[in-house]
Amino acid sequence: MTPKELKQILQALVEHGVSELTLETPDYKLTVRRGGEVQVVALPQGIAAPAAPPPSLPTPAPTGVSAPGNLAPAAGAPGLEAQEAKGAKEAKDECAGCVEVRAPIVGTFYRAPAPDAPPYVEEGDRVEKGQVLCIIEAMKLMNEIESEVSGIVKKILVKNGEPVEYGQPLFLIQPL
Amino acid sequence: MKKVLIANRGEIALRIIRAAKELGIKTVVAHSTADEKSLPVLLADEAICIGPPPSGQSYLNIPNLLSAAIVTGADAIHPGYGFLAENATFAEMCRDHGITFIGPTPENMRALGDKATARKVAREAGVPTVPGTDELTSVEEAKRAAQEIGYPVILKASAGGGGRGMRLVHTEEELERAVQQAQEEARAAFGNPAIYLEKYIEEPKHIEIQVLGDGENVIHLWERDCSIQRRHQKLLEEAPSTLPWETRKAIAEAAARLARHVGYVSAGTLEFLVDKEGNFYFIEMNTRIQVEHPVTEMITGIDLVQAQFRIAMGEKLWLKQEEVEVRGHAIEVRVNAEDPEKGFRPSIGKVETLLFPGGPGIRVDSHLYAGYQIPPHYDSLIAKIIAWAPTREEAIKRMERALSETVIEGPGLKTTIPFHQKVLQNAFFRRGAVYTNFVARRMEM
Repeated sequence: MTPKELKQILQALVEHGVSELTLETPDYKLTVRRGGEVQVVALPQGIAAPAAPPPSLPTPAPTGVSAPGNLAPAAGAPGLEAQEAKGAKEAKDECAGCVEVRAPIVGTFYRAPAPDAPPYVEEGDRVEKGQVLCIIEAMKLMNEIESEVSGIVKKILVKNGEPVEYGQPLFLIQPL
Repeated sequence: MKKVLIANRGEIALRIIRAAKELGIKTVVAHSTADEKSLPVLLADEAICIGPPPSGQSYLNIPNLLSAAIVTGADAIHPGYGFLAENATFAEMCRDHGITFIGPTPENMRALGDKATARKVAREAGVPTVPGTDELTSVEEAKRAAQEIGYPVILKASAGGGGRGMRLVHTEEELERAVQQAQEEARAAFGNPAIYLEKYIEEPKHIEIQVLGDGENVIHLWERDCSIQRRHQKLLEEAPSTLPWETRKAIAEAAARLARHVGYVSAGTLEFLVDKEGNFYFIEMNTRIQVEHPVTEMITGIDLVQAQFRIAMGEKLWLKQEEVEVRGHAIEVRVNAEDPEKGFRPSIGKVETLLFPGGPGIRVDSHLYAGYQIPPHYDSLIAKIIAWAPTREEAIKRMERALSETVIEGPGLKTTIPFHQKVLQNAFFRRGAVYTNFVARRMEM
């Protein structure tokens, strides 16, 4: 596939409002998703952008279209969401195959239900799917954040009491 | 005020950052995941992600925005335009959380929010509105009303919109049949035959008055002519208008009177239709900073966004009406990522080559940079180019010169610049013969 062909496909998706497409040929498999609420996305190595692009413009966006067979998901392509979060790359480097639990809302991160209570989880703990990992306080409401998978807590990425933004990775969990 | 959270994106987020920086106020840009690499995010002191690309989950997400202000320690929020700028509930929630909302009060917004309430308030303040009736119950009533208002009149469906159930009536002979047709059309289109009657303003100019208020005093910063529109979307704005001095003064004073009547705070705009005889009718008020505010800044030298900040910090108006001086003429074109050759279809792409115009009297407000990928989730405005010159003729020439210098290129990327070049060359435009159906009638678009 040439970059031009890929662009035509992507433009067609945007024009027709298609949100997901999978295309398989003997040479490659291409999966493209637009927008949506993908919270956990395994990025192919080397596609994630640097955490904070320096303000020295222009900043070329990664295109990731040069090598057929290594296209999914096509980060930085027209109309597509790259779904990168700050620190995601470094965190992923530490634990291949880990699942990131990301902040679904903006707020303050707490590891325990109360200041004097023990933390919900520690690194190395085994957690079940649906188990509470932390609290994010937003507008004086305590929102419990649950694990999306069963596994081992490999890394807690945020300190107690720190503000978190939408999509920020909070935990790395090695699925079992 | 030490730090402001900007609850917006694109060129207006950048405009607010610029105003805040010059006032020594720190900036935090709240952004969606689609705007992670946008210029406002790169240029603000801080940035915080507040949600995924759809604006309902990010730029309109009140809990996330307020949390973002709280966790970043921002003591004020600037809403820009669109999104939550005219949401009284949001302004109220900011107040409840001790965060300064940079804009009018929730009470201001409610008094002027919907058209029916705003019309009532206007009448109280002695400002004319388009004459019309409530729902009609009989043909006789329609005849009486039309006679009183004067032909031509237009019949409109109460439930309506989009031209369905609308009938233009020039004489009384036509009225009875038109009422029946309009009712039938309204019934067919909306399942409700109710119609009302309004004076038809032929080829009106869309004139809007910029005001600034501090809750007690209100001054006006004269008008902008926004008649160049396509499907109610403004494309080119200029100030001053080509209306006679007496008309301009009368509209501006009426606007200030209405804003004063509601104790208006911050920057706002009152929209009027002006007919060929110079009669003017108030339509609605925009309780926010507007896209086209730079043309007023260019002719008055007053920074409207900084004025919003200063008023929000409690400063009383530092200018008297007679101190507002108008110099020269300014024109703004809205450069949209749209293809004017294909019905103004949105054109999404990556900006590969970018060169903005410069030289005397030119201002560009834009969040573009070479390499920027225009996201498909938001509106298509990518740049505003503003030309100032001592006279309208010179401003038109200067704008033509500026547009001929501008390069915004990328694969498949189209902009509205060729359309603006045609407008600027149009003989009717050149002599100021502009009205809201100019684009349809003179440009055939």
